Amino acid sequence: MSMMSKVRRRIPGRTSQAHRKVTVPEMLAGAVVLFLVAAVAFPAALAPFDPLAINPADGFQGPSLEHWFGTDESGRDIYSRVIFGARPSLLIGAVATAIGIGLALVLGSLAGLGGKALDFGVGRLLEVLFALPGLLLALVFIAIAGPGVVTSTVAVGLSTAPGYARIIRGQIIQVRGSGMVEAAVVLGRTRWQIVRRHLLPNALSPVFVIATLGLGQAVVWASSLSFLGLGEPPPAAEWGAMLAAGRTYLTTAWWMTFFPGLFIVFTAAASTVLGRGLQRRMVR
Amino acid sequence: MSTHFKSSSARFSTAVGAVSVAALLLAGCSSAEPQDGQSGQTPVSGGELVYASGDAEPTCLDPHVGGNYPQALVSTQYLEPLVSLNSDGEIIPWLATSWEEAEDGLSWTITVRDDVKFTDGTPLNAEAVKANIEHLKDPETASSTGFLALAKVKSTEIVSEDTIRLNLSQPDSALLESLSQPWLAIESPAALERPKEENCEAPVGTGPFIVDEWVKQNSITLVRNEDYNSPPADAAHEGPAYLESITWRFIPDSASRYAALQSGEVDVIDNAQPDTIASAEKNEDIEHLDAPRPGASNRIELNSSKAPFNDPLVREAFIHSANVDAGISSLFFDAAERSHSALSSVEELGYADPELFTYDPEEANRLLDEAGWDKRDSKGYRVKDGQQLSLEFPVSTNQSIPAEVSLFEQIQATAKEVGFKIDLNLLDLSSWYGALAENNYDLVSAPYTKVGPDVLRILYHSDGIVPAPSGYFANLSQVDNAELDKLLTQASQETDPDQRAALYEDAQKLILEGYYVLPLYDQQNHFLYRSSVEGLRALPTVSTPTFYDVWLNR
Repeated sequence: MSMMSKVRRRIPGRTSQAHRKVTVPEMLAGAVVLFLVAAVAFPAALAPFDPLAINPADGFQGPSLEHWFGTDESGRDIYSRVIFGARPSLLIGAVATAIGIGLALVLGSLAGLGGKALDFGVGRLLEVLFALPGLLLALVFIAIAGPGVVTSTVAVGLSTAPGYARIIRGQIIQVRGSGMVEAAVVLGRTRWQIVRRHLLPNALSPVFVIATLGLGQAVVWASSLSFLGLGEPPPAAEWGAMLAAGRTYLTTAWWMTFFPGLFIVFTAAASTVLGRGLQRRMVR
Repeated sequence: MSTHFKSSSARFSTAVGAVSVAALLLAGCSSAEPQDGQSGQTPVSGGELVYASGDAEPTCLDPHVGGNYPQALVSTQYLEPLVSLNSDGEIIPWLATSWEEAEDGLSWTITVRDDVKFTDGTPLNAEAVKANIEHLKDPETASSTGFLALAKVKSTEIVSEDTIRLNLSQPDSALLESLSQPWLAIESPAALERPKEENCEAPVGTGPFIVDEWVKQNSITLVRNEDYNSPPADAAHEGPAYLESITWRFIPDSASRYAALQSGEVDVIDNAQPDTIASAEKNEDIEHLDAPRPGASNRIELNSSKAPFNDPLVREAFIHSANVDAGISSLFFDAAERSHSALSSVEELGYADPELFTYDPEEANRLLDEAGWDKRDSKGYRVKDGQQLSLEFPVSTNQSIPAEVSLFEQIQATAKEVGFKIDLNLLDLSSWYGALAENNYDLVSAPYTKVGPDVLRILYHSDGIVPAPSGYFANLSQVDNAELDKLLTQASQETDPDQRAALYEDAQKLILEGYYVLPLYDQQNHFLYRSSVEGLRALPTVSTPTFYDVWLNR
C-alpha cells in the first residue's frame, strides 16, 4: 500500500476520488484475501489434518463435522488439502504475474523509450503474441520446456506479458510527453534520473491495478495447467491437481471437485473485485 | 431418451429414409421399458453400434506395428489370427484348419482354409501367411509384441497352396498360443505391400468388419464385411455379422464415457472405472462384462539395473514398505482382488506366494538399516553417502487408470514413512516410453498381455533387456539371472505339461523371491454395455471384445 500512496502523490487530481466508500463486495473480497493470506502463511494453524496423510479405510466420505469438505479417494481430508493447496496455487499465480510484469517492463520500456525502430519491432512481436490465446502460448512453452511447477509458472508468466507490455508502453509514451518530464529535461536531469523518478513510477501505477485483476486470472490458468497434469506432481495438494483427481469421481463424490473449485472461484472473484475497486479509485 | 433419439437420427440422417427413422424412434422407445428373457430371442440383423474406448487411440491400426492393447481392441473386429482358444483354454481352429508339430519340435506344419478371401479380394493361402510372418519379423515394421512372439521362428517354407511349414531355432511350446493373439493376425499380403503409413490407416484382413474411415482424435468407422465366412470355431453363428457398422469412438475421460453410455449416446464402453462399475451395478439398463486379461498381472517392476534397486535388500525393503491391500479394497470397490503372482489369475500355471508381499514397515526399516541406508535427512528420507533414497516412478496415464494412480500415491505415502522418496511422474504414452528407453526409472507399472505363461520369458529373460525393433524392451525390472534364463528357455521348449509346469513354477519362485516385482491385481478389463446389446463376449485369447455375434435388441 505504501507504494500506491507514493504513486498517488505524484499525480494530481486523484484525491477527490480516493475516499470513496468501501462496498460490501469489497469487504467480502477483502475477507477472502485475508483468509487466503493466512492459509498461505500459516496453513498448519488453519488445517486440522496433515494434507498428505492417507487413510484408505476413510476414503470417499462426504462432508461431515470431522471432515468439513469430506475426504478424497485415499482418505485425505479435503479441507486440509485445500488450505495447504493455497500456497502452491497462489504462489504460482503471484510469481507468474511478477514474471509477466517484469518481462512486460523490459518490452514496454524498450518500445516506449528505445526509438522508432525498436517500438515498431516490439509492437509487431506483441501483435504476433496477441494473436495466440494466452493459454495456448503457455501450452506451447510447456511442450518445449517439459512439464513441472517451474515451467508452468514461467509459462503463465510469459503468456500474460504481452498484455502488460502494451499498457506499459502506452503509459511511458504518455508520461514521456507530459509537462513534468519536460520540466525535468529543462532542469538538466539525466536520462536515467528521468526514467527512474518520473517515467517508471507513473507508468507502473495502472499496471499494479491491472495486475491485481490479472492475479486471479493467473491462478485460474495455473490451476488449468495443473488440471491437465502439467503442474505439481502427486501427492501435492494443489487446487488444479485436486480438481483433476476428483473429476473421475464427479458423479459419486462431488465434494472432491467442488471445494477446490470453489476456492479457485473465490480467489479469482476476490482479486477481480479488489482490482476493480483499486482501478476506480486510482486510475484516471 | 430424447438425447438417444437425437444422436441416433443425426448419425443416420443422410443414409436412411423416413421408415427407418420411424423404426428407430420405436426402437428408441422400447429400450426404455424393462426387458426380460432376452436370451433365446432371434438375432436381428442391422443397425449401428457405437463403442467408446477409454484406451489410448492407436497411432497405427495395424497391430503388427508396435503391438499394444489399444490396437488389439479395435483390430479384433477386422483382422483374424490363425487359431483361437476356447473357454477351456484349448487351441481351436480359426483361419488355420489344422497344425502339427514335428517329432523334434523344430518345425510346425500349418494348413489354412482354402475358401477365405481378404476384403480386398486377395485369397488367403500359405503365401499370405508367409508374407505376414516376414512382415512381423522385418525390422522396418517396428513390431514389438509380434516380433517377440515369433523370436524362435527361423524361416518359413511353402509346402502346398494352403500349407506352410515354420522352421524353428528351438522347440516352442508356446507357438500356437502366440499365434492366437490379435497382434499376429493375418493381413492381406497385397495390402502389406503398400507403404507403412497407408497400411496403418486401413489394414486389410478377413474379419467381420472393414476399416472404412479413421478420423484421428475422434473415431474409426467400421462397416460390415458382407462376404464374411471365417468365424472362429466357437462363434455363435455363421455368415456376415449382424451389425451394419460400428463407430469406434475415443472418449478418454472416464466420467464422460460413462455419461455417454447412460444417455444411450454410446452402446459399449471399455476401461470402466471401479466407481463407475459400482454405480452401474444399480442401473438396470447397463450390463457388466468382466474379462481379466491373460499374461502378466498388473504389477510394479523394480529396476534392478541401477542403484538403489541393484541391492536386493533395498528391493525387499520397498516391497514391505508398500501397503497395497488397504488401497485395493477402497479404491476398487471390491472389483479387484490382490494378486501375489507375476501371472494373471487366468493363467493356470501362475504361482503365488502371499508371504513375500506383506506390509511390514518394521522389517522394511530393519532391511534399510542393514543395507547401509541408516541415516535420515531433515525430511525423513533416508540417505547414504550423501545420496537420498529416491525413486523415479514414471506413470503412463494412458495405461494406469485413476484408481491405480491413486494406489501409487498411497504406496508413495506408506513408503515415505520408511524413508523412501518416490517421485511420481504422470506422463503421456510417448514420454513414458521415452523415460523407459533412457533407463530413467526405478519403479514402473507396465501391463503385458500374452496368452500363456511364456509371457514370463518375455518379461524376465535377460534377452528382454535388449529393445525390440520398436524400441520397447519388455524386461523392465532388468532381471539378468543365468539360472532364470535357463529355466525359462527350458520351459518354453518343454512339451510335457507336468515338466513345463514345474519349470515355470521354479522360474516364478526365482522372480518373486528375488523381489523384482510387486504384484497388485489382475489386469483390469471391464466393459459396460447397454442391455440392448446382445451377444457380446470377449475372446478367450487376450480378452478383447468381439462384435461378430452382437445384435441390437431395440
